[in-house]
Amino acid sequence: MSRMRGAAAIVGIGQTPYYKRGTSPEPELKLALRAITAAAEDAGIDVRDIDGFVSYASERSDAPKLMPALGTRECSFSSLVWFHGGALPATLNLAAMAILSGQAEIVAVYRSMAETSSQRLRVMVAQNDTSAQYLVNGLDSPAQILALRAQRLMEYHGVPQSALLATTQASYYHAHNNPHAYGRNIEITDEVYANARMISEPYRLFDCSRENDGAACVILVSAERAKDLKQKPAYVLSAPMGTMEGGGALEENWRPYYATAGQKELADRMWRESGYGPKDVDVAQVYMNMNAMGIGSMIDHGFFSFEEAGEFCTLDNLIAPTGRLPINTSGGDLGEGFIHGMGLIPEAVRQIRGTSTNPVPDAKLSLVTGGPGDIMSSTALLGSEETL
Amino acid sequence: MGYSFEQHKIIGAIEADDGFWRALEDGKLQLPRCTGCKGWTWPAHHRCGQCGSWDFAWTDVEPQGTVFTYTRSRYAFDRVLERKDDVPYVTLVVELPGADGARVMGVLTGDESGLAIGAQVRGHIRPPSAKTKHYPAIEWELVR
Ligand SMILES: [Zn+2]
Repeated sequence: MSRMRGAAAIVGIGQTPYYKRGTSPEPELKLALRAITAAAEDAGIDVRDIDGFVSYASERSDAPKLMPALGTRECSFSSLVWFHGGALPATLNLAAMAILSGQAEIVAVYRSMAETSSQRLRVMVAQNDTSAQYLVNGLDSPAQILALRAQRLMEYHGVPQSALLATTQASYYHAHNNPHAYGRNIEITDEVYANARMISEPYRLFDCSRENDGAACVILVSAERAKDLKQKPAYVLSAPMGTMEGGGALEENWRPYYATAGQKELADRMWRESGYGPKDVDVAQVYMNMNAMGIGSMIDHGFFSFEEAGEFCTLDNLIAPTGRLPINTSGGDLGEGFIHGMGLIPEAVRQIRGTSTNPVPDAKLSLVTGGPGDIMSSTALLGSEETL
Repeated sequence: MGYSFEQHKIIGAIEADDGFWRALEDGKLQLPRCTGCKGWTWPAHHRCGQCGSWDFAWTDVEPQGTVFTYTRSRYAFDRVLERKDDVPYVTLVVELPGADGARVMGVLTGDESGLAIGAQVRGHIRPPSAKTKHYPAIEWELVR
């Protein structure tokens, strides 16, 4: 088994409110400071003692900008994980490696986003690397590009619309009980879903995540140190990153997989490293830039096959407390809010602590998946002490 | 003098596909074929990952194939506002049997009835225009 397994744990979580995109009362850097200080307070750690900083994608609130306001005594490790939302769980991998190898003792993993100009989505999320092959042919947004994958998933592989609907309804069902969820007052009846405007076929409005301003942070320390802190630790059992040959930046030429999330080998590696399998998972935070991509993630993780997707993805199966696989129990990227997926890790931790607003009783194994369909991705399994 | 797309260069991504756009602006569909192993390297890259060659021959490909997937855009997205009057429009990903199944994109033109994954399409090469960001483009038509 991997030396990484259980070497580090998440001991603090902090989040700002989710603001409507472009309406944050505070600038991005201040949002990052709020989330990091809240996470330190939650952990019972002096924020000045944080010595490692990890983020992903195009995060702009880097350690040198944060340090003066955090009173950082010494920053000994700071790094960014490449690619887009696929990098989310890989931040835990990087933080755990830094701790395991002695490069840092207390690592903050965070993401902050606030619209500062019309460049935000283009630069901050898409990183301005959409190629001419797309733009010349009328494709700009991830919604359109991922719609190509969804069309294939549904038309060719036979995943029914009802599966997409169920993931959306489960997300908003959970959001309803979460006072912090941006979408808590939206009720998705079958009619509301079906009558919502089309964005890029097959995606309707409620198949897509909403962009928000906000920040979130989790703090990791060694397993040893975690025992002495005030919160119940969420151990990182495995958090691999990667992609297989035939994946990567291939402009719709992915082979052999296309319609799922590009996470199959990654998930297999996670199961091997952690010693667990899909049947053992109690609750999952599934990254849903778009809901069909999240279904692709669940297929890649082995929860069900293409053929079983319709039967598995029903509202009853996907909701806490008694569903077969409760997903996105804070509302997730669709119902809670979207700051590049970063809200998913704190919720995965709350499930292990038992403090989610939609708790899965006695949850011990808590999954959080990275941006599906990203040119490289990652996934992470968190566990309580009993799972070590 | 010079090619239109070169004067309106879209940066980002791998940027090894100038040969594709140059050929298209000359009215031909060409994809790069590795001179070492003869494999089609698509999307174009700087080195063949299969045999290590750095050399590619831009090779004619018949502009016909099958629909691999598609989406109908129902909203005028930020960076492709040139097409706002065309909404809704369909963009296809087309698999080219003439290039070992390499997939290229393009907008669907003509009658859309019968659009489905696996449908046969034929490409028409269009000169640069504002709608295509001053790049040449392929438009696809369903074969009936
Ligand atoms: Zn070669």
